[in-house]
Amino acid sequence: MSETILKIAGLITQYGQLTALKNISFEVFENEIIGIVGPNGSGKTTLLETIAGTLKNRKGEITFLSRRIDDLTVRERRKRGLMLVPQENNIFPMMPVRKNLEVSGVLNSHEEVDRLIDYASALFPVLKDQQTQGAHTLSGGEQKMLAIGIGIVSDARLLLIDEPSIGLAPKLVTKLFNTLKQIKEETGKTLFLAEQNVKILRIADRVIGLEGGEVKFVEKSSSLDEKSFQELYMGQ
Amino acid sequence: MLLTGFINGIIMGGVLSLPVLGVAVVYGITGIPNFAIGLIGVFGGFVTWYFLSYNMVLSLFVGVAVCFPIGYLLQNILLTPISNKGGDATLFFVITISLGFVFEGLVKVIFPRPSISIALPYMGSFSVGGVSVEIIKLFALIFALSTLTVIRLLEIHTRPGQSWQATSRNLKLAKLVGVNTNRVFAVAHGIGCSLACIGAIFWGSLYNLNVLSGWELGFLGFIIAVVGGIGNIWGGMLSAMLMGMILSYSGYFLDGNWQSVILYVIVILVLIVSPKGILGSERSL
Repeated sequence: MSETILKIAGLITQYGQLTALKNISFEVFENEIIGIVGPNGSGKTTLLETIAGTLKNRKGEITFLSRRIDDLTVRERRKRGLMLVPQENNIFPMMPVRKNLEVSGVLNSHEEVDRLIDYASALFPVLKDQQTQGAHTLSGGEQKMLAIGIGIVSDARLLLIDEPSIGLAPKLVTKLFNTLKQIKEETGKTLFLAEQNVKILRIADRVIGLEGGEVKFVEKSSSLDEKSFQELYMGQ
Repeated sequence: MLLTGFINGIIMGGVLSLPVLGVAVVYGITGIPNFAIGLIGVFGGFVTWYFLSYNMVLSLFVGVAVCFPIGYLLQNILLTPISNKGGDATLFFVITISLGFVFEGLVKVIFPRPSISIALPYMGSFSVGGVSVEIIKLFALIFALSTLTVIRLLEIHTRPGQSWQATSRNLKLAKLVGVNTNRVFAVAHGIGCSLACIGAIFWGSLYNLNVLSGWELGFLGFIIAVVGGIGNIWGGMLSAMLMGMILSYSGYFLDGNWQSVILYVIVILVLIVSPKGILGSERSL
């Protein structure tokens, strides 16, 4: 089995008096795709934001690559090798596509950034075809690709991606998921995807089910049936 | 008279565009309107004036060199920590106005003169359509335009410049990708205060400089930046030129007291028609 890259133990996050994450614990292994599933309000985004550091946990421990990170700033966590691609506001509007990618590699050398941009552009040709265009002029699907491209160019070992498929046409969802799997296989990255789309089962190695801010199950996706899974956990 | 008004308006606009740019850089990047920036600039202007008798180049350098760390430290020690604790617009208004009074007091205590004139060396003059223009005024205009162009080029073509842009367009994402946003804020504030200082030096060489000029430059700079489109450098420049023109012509054709009436009525009308400014705001925090 691969080594543990991320360990969450007894995590509690609150918004004022409201407890959004209640004693969450699990482990993520190197080079796997983890799907975090659950209905709206189950705590998926809160979990990702807490790991990335944009939200502070009230209690518990977050250990990344064998070091506690829950007292670190967002930037320090980013330097350690994890990055969150948010669901919304995940591009730099009014900046050309190419500049969006370049600035995302701010912690890497110029040569490394060029190489990573080439890789991202090979996965999503639109990033090269429209590299001089303002990011805000891209379509919703293209902006999603740019957001994931930003994650790729950051060269984080652990990419936390919030709802990558939301707002995309079904065909595009399948294509995007296949590309995410390709990224995992080609780069050795670990992907941590918050999702509501049942197709996540097709690419995820394991799935963590959240409900009401609690972990309801941690299962290998191969052991889950798509139809019953959808009815039981995704309310569709 | 028309040509004289035009030339004076352009030059006044050019000089005004420096504090405007200072405000635009600070507010556009940090999201914090610093109403003390004009006073900090005037403080630097007085420092320059004080050292002028020793060496002119040194005095200009000292003035700017004093204002940069003031802006840098204010941001790092005061404004960023307050912002991180959730400080809102009202709090920043009160704090930066208070800072303005602090610098007003410092100017009065350290330089006990009500008003100064910064005597830069006479460079001669030339004539345009029968109107005599001092070369120092043209120099002020060219300096302002060059500064704007250099800052814009740095923003587009350098890595720190891209980090500035990213920070002003999407602060959260900039932090997530690893931009050192605290340093960006501090450097931006340092540059903003330095620009205000250069503006104050030119103002002091063309007109007179006193503590009231600090409030005037700060508030006018902020208003002009908003009219141009906050964070939009060229919008700020265009707006400064228009404001300079309005001030100049209203001074020629009407009683001087009408200047502010006409200026601010036009400001209100422009903002009603175009709330994001003439060329639109580039800031999206």
